[in-house]
This record gives sequence, C-alpha cells and structure tokens, in this order.
Amino acid sequence: MKTYIHAITMAGLFGTAAATSALAADDSRFGLIPGGPHPYFSAWEQAGADAARDYGLSASEYKVPQKWELSQQNQLLESLLSQGYNGFLIFPGDPVGAVSTAEEISGYGAPIIAGAGCYKDPSPAAFCLGTDTGNSAYLGAKELIKAMGDGQKRIAHFTGFLVDPNTQLRIDAVNRAAEEEGATVVQVIADIDAPEPAEEKINAYLAANAGDVDGIITTAWVPAVVAANALRKMGDSGIKMVGIDHDEVVLQAIKDGVVDGTMLQNPYGQGYVGTFALDKLRSGCTVKDDAPFGSNALTDKFIDSGTAYVDASSADTYLDAMRAETDRLLADFEEKYLNCN
Amino acid sequence: MTQISRLSRTDWFGPLLATIIAIVVIRAFSANFLSSFNIQILLLAIAVNALVAYSQMIIIAIGQMNLSVGAIGGLAAISFVGMIEVWGIPAPLAVILALAIGVGCGVINGVLIRITGISAFVITLATLSIFKGINLGITEAQPFYGVPDSVKAFGSALVFGPIPWLVVPTVLVAVGLWFMLSRMPVGRFILAVGSNEHAAGLSGISVGATVIIAHGISGLLAAIAGVLVVARLQIGQPSIGDDWLILSFAAPVIGGAILAGGHVSVSATFLGVVIVAIITQALVLFNIDPFLVQVVLGALILAAVGLNKLRARAPIGQGT
Repeated sequence: MKTYIHAITMAGLFGTAAATSALAADDSRFGLIPGGPHPYFSAWEQAGADAARDYGLSASEYKVPQKWELSQQNQLLESLLSQGYNGFLIFPGDPVGAVSTAEEISGYGAPIIAGAGCYKDPSPAAFCLGTDTGNSAYLGAKELIKAMGDGQKRIAHFTGFLVDPNTQLRIDAVNRAAEEEGATVVQVIADIDAPEPAEEKINAYLAANAGDVDGIITTAWVPAVVAANALRKMGDSGIKMVGIDHDEVVLQAIKDGVVDGTMLQNPYGQGYVGTFALDKLRSGCTVKDDAPFGSNALTDKFIDSGTAYVDASSADTYLDAMRAETDRLLADFEEKYLNCN
Repeated sequence: MTQISRLSRTDWFGPLLATIIAIVVIRAFSANFLSSFNIQILLLAIAVNALVAYSQMIIIAIGQMNLSVGAIGGLAAISFVGMIEVWGIPAPLAVILALAIGVGCGVINGVLIRITGISAFVITLATLSIFKGINLGITEAQPFYGVPDSVKAFGSALVFGPIPWLVVPTVLVAVGLWFMLSRMPVGRFILAVGSNEHAAGLSGISVGATVIIAHGISGLLAAIAGVLVVARLQIGQPSIGDDWLILSFAAPVIGGAILAGGHVSVSATFLGVVIVAIITQALVLFNIDPFLVQVVLGALILAAVGLNKLRARAPIGQGT
C-alpha cells in the first residue's frame, strides 16, 4: 500500500517528465550524487556548473548524502526527483542494492549514468563512466616497482572501504603487478578511507614494520594523505610511495620528494562528460547498441574516464593532465556511444 | 589474599589484567611492539579516543546515551580550522570558540531532552543529523587545509621520550573528571540522577540542570577530542568523528560502566580505550586479512567485556 501511494505521488509529480522523450536543454536539471561525503567527488560540483553553463542547462548540481549509507543516498535521490531534477549521475552506494532505486527513478523518465563506480548489470544506468580502477592500481604498482629499482621489492598496500566494489579490484590489480615484477605485497590494510583509522593503522604499521617494507602504494584518497604525512615525519626512510588522486598534501609531498608520484583519476571529467551525456539522453539520444564499451566485474557498459601518472616533473601541471583526459573523452563521445538522429 | 580479592572487584582490575596480558602476548610475537615510536603511536590514538570515551561516559553516568558525540566533535574540529582559515582568527581564540560550540551543542541536547521529555536516544539521533548536516554545509565535504604551524607542531611534539603533548590535555581531563565525579557535588548529582532520577529529585537535586550540565560536559569533551584530532591529522577533515560511536560505548562498557546509569569509572574507561587501541594495532601487526578485521575486533572486544564481567561478582557503589 505504501509503495502504491508512493508511486502515485511520484507519478503525479513527474507525469510530464515521464511522458516526454525529447526535451529542451534549458529544462534539464541534473543531480550529481556521490555515495557520501568524500573529497574525491568535489570536482563534480565545478564540472556540473561548467557543463550547465556551456550547454545552457537549467542546472547540474552536486548534492551529497550526509553519510556513506545506501538509505541516505536513496532518500536524497527520491527527494531530488520530487523537486524536479530530471537526470542523475550517481556513484552507487551499493552496486546491487542501489539498482532498485535507480529503476524507480528511471521509471519516471529520468536518465541515469553511473559515475566513478558502477551498478551491477542489469541496471537502468545508460552506462558507467569511471576510472578503470584495476588498471589505475596496476599502473600505479608498476610505477612504484620501477621507482624501487633493484633489490628487494616489498610492498604495503593501503586501500579504501571494503564495501566499495573497487577495493577488491585494486587489491587484485596490485597483486598482479607485483607478481609480474617479482615483488611481494607484504600487507594490505583496508577500510581506512577515513582520517582516524588511517592515521592509527598506517602509523602503527610503519612503526613496527618500516624496516621490512620498500614501497607503499595507496589506492584510496585518505590513506594517500596519511601515508604521505607519515613518510614526511619519518624523514629519510628509503621507502618509495605512489599515491592516488590530487590532494594538496600528496601533491606537495611529490614536489618535496617525499612521495614519488600519484595516479590521477578524472572526477572533473566524470562530472562534465556525465552532465553532457545526461542532457543528450534526455534530448532523445539513445545509447548505441554497438558502442565500444569496456567491461569490468560489474558491468559490460563501462567507459574509462581516464587516469594519468603524475610525478615531480608534472605535479605543477596536473590540472592540464585532467583537462586533457576530459577533452580526449569528450572529443568523440557522441559519435562513439550515442545515436542522436 | 583478602587484599587481592578486594582488588579484583574494582572496575579497573579486569581491564588492567587484560591490558597486561595483551601487551605480553603481542610483545612475544612482535619485537617492535614496545619500540619508542610504536608507544608514541599508541599514545596518540589513546589521547583522542579517551576523550571520546569520556564524552560518552558522562552521559552513561546519568543513564542516557549520546549518539551525537562524533557529530559534535566533527563540527568543533572543522569550525576550529575553518575559523582560522576563512576568518584568520588566531588559533588560541579559535580553540576557545570551537570548545564553546561543543558546549553549546551539548547544552542543546540536554535542553531538548528536558523540555520535550523525549528519550536522549531519539534527541541525539536527530541532533547527530543536524550537527553533521551543518558540518557538511560548511565544508561541502571538502577538508580545510589551513591548520597553523603552531597547531601542527603541538600535534607532533613530544613532552619527553615517546610521550606526545597531545596526551597532556587528556590526562588533565581524566584527573578533572575523576575529581568531579568523586569529590564535587555536581559529580555526585550526576551519579545520583543516573542511579535513580526520581529519588535524586526528591533529594533536592535539580535533575534538569544536572542533565543539561552532563550534556554540556559531554559536548565540551567531544570538542576537545575534535581539536586534538585536527592537531594530530594536521588537516580539518569533515569526516572527523564519523567513527567514534562504537568506541565511545565500547571503552566505558569494557570499563564496567552500567548503561542504566549511576556507575562509571574514569580509570577503567581509560583502560578500556587502551585495550581497544592495542587490539586495533595488533590486528595490523599480525597482518589479519582485511575482510576479517571487523570480526576479530568485535570478538576481542567481546572477550574483554566478558573478562571484566566475570570478575565483577559484587556490586560496587559509585564512580571512581
């Protein structure tokens, strides 16, 4: 009964949205929704605003659930739908559990794109636009092993939330790169993409094992920041490190020689291209049947938003690297992935 | 023998025994466990976590619970750095204002609980959302990086040997809390209200004022913890406080606190924090599979609580 009433209410509010298939861009009002508060997604805000301005949209706004809980994200999505938002770029709070809400939203005519993380197929998402996390972790591990040079190659891997499906992909990718290069992953510390557990566990690990590790790879934002600070405090430890993302602390540590490099992701490109694609889908475009999608463990409709390795020589110009990835993606996006006849 | 029997019935005996056993066992397997650097890392974690636990303990003492401890600490933390970065306020003044925010949040909790008569669980669940929402509204989920060098230096400086300066505020708070609960009228009022609110009221104690004071103290302690976390992390992360809830209950309970109120122990709660910190570090040192860490942590905390309950064969009358 409750579901029935809910459906009627939603239908009343969005009947017009559901009834139209090709709408003007200036009616487009999109929500860019991360899984919860996290600095990685902040670039979505500027990206949405830039894309809304460039393509003459009503709005493309970054809205953050208060916590990393699927229920909070679902409530936010339903609330935005009821406020008139008519397209969504979503980082699924859970690749499987989030599908039902996505179906509900999609049922009212609002196109959905998965951003930064994917839904598990089948889902109503047009496609998943995110970092190929496994490849990024693999390339980062390769860069780390190269930086370690000859001799022993013992790697500690600090990574993110275990509930994030990307985490296992990253663990597997780092292990694969290590195996190929004759290195050893001596420890994986996960579930530390929050400042306090990261601080406590990374420092505890380094306090006890600094002499038994030659390199650190971090594949989540907060562990990268905390590990960079820990290496700075330790001074000349001889430990090499490759981080992830573009936090100021990590970039400064690269410039100062404390950290060797970082694997950039492209959240700005996800927000900008995601908004562009939502508008196209809402304007009547459809996804090509033969679009050259990639695939990962969750979906066969994956588009890599790009990754790049930044070291001391390019730390000052990392924004250019991100823009270049966005331009590369956008250049032939419509031609490759959409039918807009 | 009688002396040992009496000791075994104190709140702190069980946690102390568990702490000693844990240290001996872990030291046997990891030579670096008692290294100077590792002790420093442990003390840094304990310094903050003890304040978090005390923030909850004072509410448990009145027979209530405060789900917004982490949200208050997080709000105070980002307010502290935000005021420095955005408004250029000097760090000492920003500390005072951040602590005032903590007290204010706690007082709001207490007043709402007394005015509405709704349980503290519901009120603090609601204010948790409000305080966290304000946090996100201010930060937009972005960290503040403008932590002054003086604060960073305080966060990493050592008093002597491996003892960090961050433990000093915690020690002062612990001594102050012990003195308040065992020697001062307000402390006795708090325990009396927790033991039997009705009887306390009939005895002339202002129950409303006591509840509000307890929540004010809880907010203050959470805010101090938030400021210390900023000094330790050297960054104003909006997610500060998100992980505090379980610890805030685990440590007082390991320390023998009665959730119905009226009985808490400052020293045993401190030892509860030490046990959780040691267990957390042991899981890292022993390279436990990351997918099993939460299971093992929960089981070990349960074991620590069980050990303490086993020795508690006789009721003990008051806070220590």
